[in-house]
Amino acid sequence: MNNAEHVVLDVRNLRKHFVLHTIDSRIVEALNGVSLKVSAGEHVALAGTSGAGKSSLLKSIYRTYKPSSGAVFLKLDDDSFVDLVSLTDSELATLRGTQIGYVSQFLRAQPRRSTFEIVTKAGIQRGMDSDTAKQAAAYSLQRLNLDEALWDVSASMLSGGEKQRVNLAAGTISPPRLLLLDEPVSALDPLNRESALELIGTLTDQGVAVLAVFHDMDAMERLASRVIVLRNGVVDYEGSPMETLARLEGVAR
Amino acid sequence: MTSVVSPEWVLKVNQLGKIFGNLSENGLALTGPEIGSSKDPATGAIVAAWDVSFEVAAGEALGVVGESGSGKSTVMRCIAGDQSSSAGSVQIRTSPDEQIDVLSLTPSERRQLRIDKIAVVYQDPAEGLDLNVTAGGNIASPLTAAGWRNFSSIRSRASELLLRTEVPLNRMDDVVKSFSGGMKQRVQLAKALANRPPIVLLDEPTTGLDASVAAGVLDLIRGLLEEFGLAAVVVSHDFSVIEMLTNRCIVLNHGRVVESALTDQLLEDPHHPYSQKLVSAARA
Repeated sequence: MNNAEHVVLDVRNLRKHFVLHTIDSRIVEALNGVSLKVSAGEHVALAGTSGAGKSSLLKSIYRTYKPSSGAVFLKLDDDSFVDLVSLTDSELATLRGTQIGYVSQFLRAQPRRSTFEIVTKAGIQRGMDSDTAKQAAAYSLQRLNLDEALWDVSASMLSGGEKQRVNLAAGTISPPRLLLLDEPVSALDPLNRESALELIGTLTDQGVAVLAVFHDMDAMERLASRVIVLRNGVVDYEGSPMETLARLEGVAR
Repeated sequence: MTSVVSPEWVLKVNQLGKIFGNLSENGLALTGPEIGSSKDPATGAIVAAWDVSFEVAAGEALGVVGESGSGKSTVMRCIAGDQSSSAGSVQIRTSPDEQIDVLSLTPSERRQLRIDKIAVVYQDPAEGLDLNVTAGGNIASPLTAAGWRNFSSIRSRASELLLRTEVPLNRMDDVVKSFSGGMKQRVQLAKALANRPPIVLLDEPTTGLDASVAAGVLDLIRGLLEEFGLAAVVVSHDFSVIEMLTNRCIVLNHGRVVESALTDQLLEDPHHPYSQKLVSAARA
C-alpha cells in the first residue's frame, strides 16, 4: 500500500513553532518533528486530541503556516519531488492552484461571488478552459446536492453546510494530486455527509493522495487506509483504522 | 526540482529607496523598524522607503500593507514616476524583447509610460481625474495622448469603458465633479484602463467610500484584474481589501519591508512583531 514508488507526499521532520511577539515573545510549539508519507490512492487519517497538531500539520503542508524547519516533498507530474517549504511564495501560489486541494471547515467564502463562479474559478486555476470548468463545476455541485437555485447566490449568504459543500466542490473540481481535508463534513447533515464521504472515497480510488482530519471515527474507519495518531506535535503511533481506533476508543473510555 | 515554474515578472522593483533631505553618514543605521523611526536624528532627513524589492507577474496582484506613514504610497509614487527616487531600480517587461528601466527614463518618456504601460488609480479622484472635465473627456485624454484622432472611435471606446466600469452612459457628458465618490472611482478605473496597460497601481482605491459603495468598486476591480490579466500592486491599510484582491503581500514599517508572505499566511501566521500587531488589530 505504502509503495515507495507511489509516494506523493513525503513530510520529513516538520517543525512549527509560533513566536507571539504581542505576548512577551512567548513560544508556542505546534509541531515538534513530524515525518510521514502518503501515497497515490491512499487515504491517511490524522487522529489525536485537540491541540495534538492535526490542523497545524495540514496548514504547515499547505503553507498557510510557514514551517520553522523540516521538509515537505510533493511529487510532480514528471515524477520529480519539490520541497514546498523552500519554494518562493509565487512558485507555491502556482502549485497550490494546480496540484493541491485544501478544504477546511473554516475556509472563508469569498464575499459577493456566486457559488458557481467560485467553483468554476477553481477549475480554471487547475488549467481547465472556461467551458470545461463550467461543466465540471455544475457536475461537482450536483454531486454534492447543492440546490441549483443557490448556484448564482453569493456564497456568503449560504448556510454552514452549504458553504462547506461549495468548498468541497472547489477543492475537488478536478482530482488534485494531494487533497488536504480539515473536518470537511463536520457541518453536514447525514444525507449530505454521505454524498461528501462518497466523493472523497471516489477521489482516493482515482489515485488522489488524501490526508484528512475527521471529527467522527465512523468516517475515518470507512475511508482511511491508515490512521496516524498525533500527540504533542509528533507522531505517536500509526496503524490500520481497526487497530488504531480500538486503541483510541480504549483511551476515550 | 526544477519543474516548478515561477511566473515571469512584468514589474520588478529592486532595492528602491526614497529619502527626503540629506542623510547623515549613519542615517540608514539610525532609522528603520528596529529603531522605530524613519527620521535621521542627526540631520532630520526622512527615510521614506529603503531597500524595497518585489516582482509582480501578469494576472497577479501584490499587496503593500502598513500603517500610514510606513512608506506605502511613497513606493507607489516612485514606481509611477510621480516622485523621483533616491536609490534602486524599477523595471517593466511587457514582452520578451522589451524591457524598460523606468528610473532612467526622461520625464517625457515617463509620461509616455503612464499613457499605455502603467496606470494608477488614486484614493483621491482629484489626483487621477480632471474634475472640471466630463467623464468622456477624462477618458479621451489618455486615448488622444496615445494617438487616437477619430472623434467617433474615441467616443465609442469611452462608452465601452464606462459600460464596463458600470457608469451610466447618460452621465458621459457630465463633469466629473458632479459625480458621487464611488462613481468617480469608476471613472478613474475606466480612464486607467483606456489604453489597456499591462500594469496597474491601486493606491487605497476604496478608502473613504461608504461600505456598500466600496464593496461595489472592489468587486469591479477584482473582475477587471482577472479579465485583463493585469499585474497589479494594491496599496491598502485595509486587510479585507488585501485579502480579496491579492495573493501575496509585503509589509512596510518605517520605510522598510519587514515581511513578505502569501496573503493567507500573513493573516494566519504573521512573523514579524509589527505584522503580528497589524493583523491582530485588524482581526480583533
